[in-house]
Amino acid sequence: MRSKLILAAAALHLAAAPALSDPLKVGLLIPNAIAEVGWDHEIDRGGKALVQTFGDKIQLNSVTGVLEGPDATRVMNKMAADGSRMVILGGFGQMNDGLRLARKDPKLSLLHLGGYMNEPNFATLAIRHYEGSYLCGMAAGFATKSKQLGIVAAFPLPEVLNILNAWVLGAQSVNPELKPVKVVWLNSWFDPTKEKSAAESLVTQGSDVVYSLFPGTASTVSTAEQLGVYVTVTMSDASKFAPKKHLCAAQADFAPGFVRKVQQVLDGKFQGDDTFLGVKDASMAVAGLNKDLGEDHKKAILARQEEIRTGGFQPFQGPIMANDGSQAVAAGAALSDKEIKGMNFLVKGVDAKIPARK
Amino acid sequence: MSDALVFVLAGAFATATPLFLAALGELICERSGVFNLSVEGMMSIGAVVAFITVTHTGSHALGMAAGMLAATALSTVFALLTLRLLANQVVSGLAVGLLGLGISAMVGMPYEGAVTTPIQRLHVPILADVPIVGPILFSQDAVVYMSVVLGASAAWFLRRTRAGLTLRVVGENPRSAHSLGLRPTRVRFLAVLFGGAMAGLAGAYASTVLTPLWSQGMIAGRGWIAVALVVFATWRPTRLMVGAYFFGAVSLLDLAVQAIGLGIPSQLMACVPYVSTIAILAIVSSDIARIRLNAPMSLGESYSPAA
Repeated sequence: MRSKLILAAAALHLAAAPALSDPLKVGLLIPNAIAEVGWDHEIDRGGKALVQTFGDKIQLNSVTGVLEGPDATRVMNKMAADGSRMVILGGFGQMNDGLRLARKDPKLSLLHLGGYMNEPNFATLAIRHYEGSYLCGMAAGFATKSKQLGIVAAFPLPEVLNILNAWVLGAQSVNPELKPVKVVWLNSWFDPTKEKSAAESLVTQGSDVVYSLFPGTASTVSTAEQLGVYVTVTMSDASKFAPKKHLCAAQADFAPGFVRKVQQVLDGKFQGDDTFLGVKDASMAVAGLNKDLGEDHKKAILARQEEIRTGGFQPFQGPIMANDGSQAVAAGAALSDKEIKGMNFLVKGVDAKIPARK
Repeated sequence: MSDALVFVLAGAFATATPLFLAALGELICERSGVFNLSVEGMMSIGAVVAFITVTHTGSHALGMAAGMLAATALSTVFALLTLRLLANQVVSGLAVGLLGLGISAMVGMPYEGAVTTPIQRLHVPILADVPIVGPILFSQDAVVYMSVVLGASAAWFLRRTRAGLTLRVVGENPRSAHSLGLRPTRVRFLAVLFGGAMAGLAGAYASTVLTPLWSQGMIAGRGWIAVALVVFATWRPTRLMVGAYFFGAVSLLDLAVQAIGLGIPSQLMACVPYVSTIAILAIVSSDIARIRLNAPMSLGESYSPAA
């Protein structure tokens, strides 16, 4: 009897052993082709960091060019069918299909970038772009001579609005004489020709620093270099595309978030929560500061970054006025993460309106 | 305000040039009776090959030649399918277009997101310094001027030359053309190749002059707008030129209005080019006679002399 038990235990152990040493299969969906900078490049870099951190404990399977729709659905379902225990979704539009998959397959862990829905096995990850944006706004405020700044932005979504507002607040914090900041909405994530024309039109109207906010391509940045105006940018250091005029980048890093969530899966403790990482978590930092910025200016920017890291400063501390004259944040108050993520106002000193929404 | 006006009117030429070039090629092609829907794919191939050539040689002329050649090669596939094998033109056009998009994405993979240097704008002495008119008319790049000359040449070719008449006859009725001793298949073949070369040039201009960078999908639907412009222009090169520049100006107006800070919703402005296209199409097609006068009768129909 006893020997039978031991045998059974041994058999169980044998059966379980290969499963334990098998690498964790992780799928990664990258929405567009990978360029040298930008959203897809950073997701790819995050994936590479996973491989570096976990080595042969995981087996990463990345697929690029699956924006949303049937292709993305097919790829994520195939990954799940092939034994992936975790799938990272890099496209906003993959949310609904991902949720459906999560509900169908409770043993699968999904991580979605930029979304707002959670399930016990469907987590979200976002980066505090607004922190780096505030710091780059400071650089813009220091660098402008015409006192006129311009922003080329994708869509008036809450996340874009909080990044935009932080930039303007940063610029105003170091340069009180700024003229109202001009904004051109592209209403597109990806149209290099439109990006270029938008930057040109802002420069024609007197802007001498432009902000490329969530660009699909390096078009705005290289246009700024050609026109001889400074440029700041989200996501990646784009100095390569504007060696002379790259003023500042809010460099994002997905690695800390990816590593944290994959570790949870390895430990069997995955949580379908919302992770919001910034300077404090090494997920956001200024990069590619221009040498034209004075030493004291650079010091001021880095000192502010240090304050954000230690928790001594938050860009959305009151009082903040909205540009429709109402008070957006009361004196002494600060916006919560939820309020930042749902932002629907423009700060005073922005010469634009949020297009009406239903 | 006048800065913005100059920005819109001067920029319209460059913005419109790829649309105009591609549409001009499609116009000639359709005038011969062949409906080629692969413009978007041909432009993409032209764009990526031109971009790679300019990156490695630094020569824009060479880049454009290479882009034209590559797109012409792709249009040969379409010509063989539709003119030799008599495949359906719409289906073949869509298939070849998708093939072009796929190939361009594959070939361009190592160059994704890379940039190159644009060509200098020409500066016509004295005239370019005239306020407002100078920057609009006399300070464009060479390709813009070349496209105007090409447009005028095409109008002259169709209207005044024997070869142009042959092309039109083939487009109207290939059977009659054949009985007159003309060679419809050969004429159509050449027209398709011309369409390919123009689409290639348009793509090359987009990726090496207008926005000197390569990114997958950068043509962003301009090939389809070119196809629509041909109908919009009722198959007439001069109207095509007006239509393309109108489209370019309106799409820039959206951005200029925002940069000035006028309180017009940007989504509304972004619709204007498309809404006006629909409006003009509706007006144009309300007069059936006008369409019938210009539309090639045999458009989209396969023809084989043996049949």
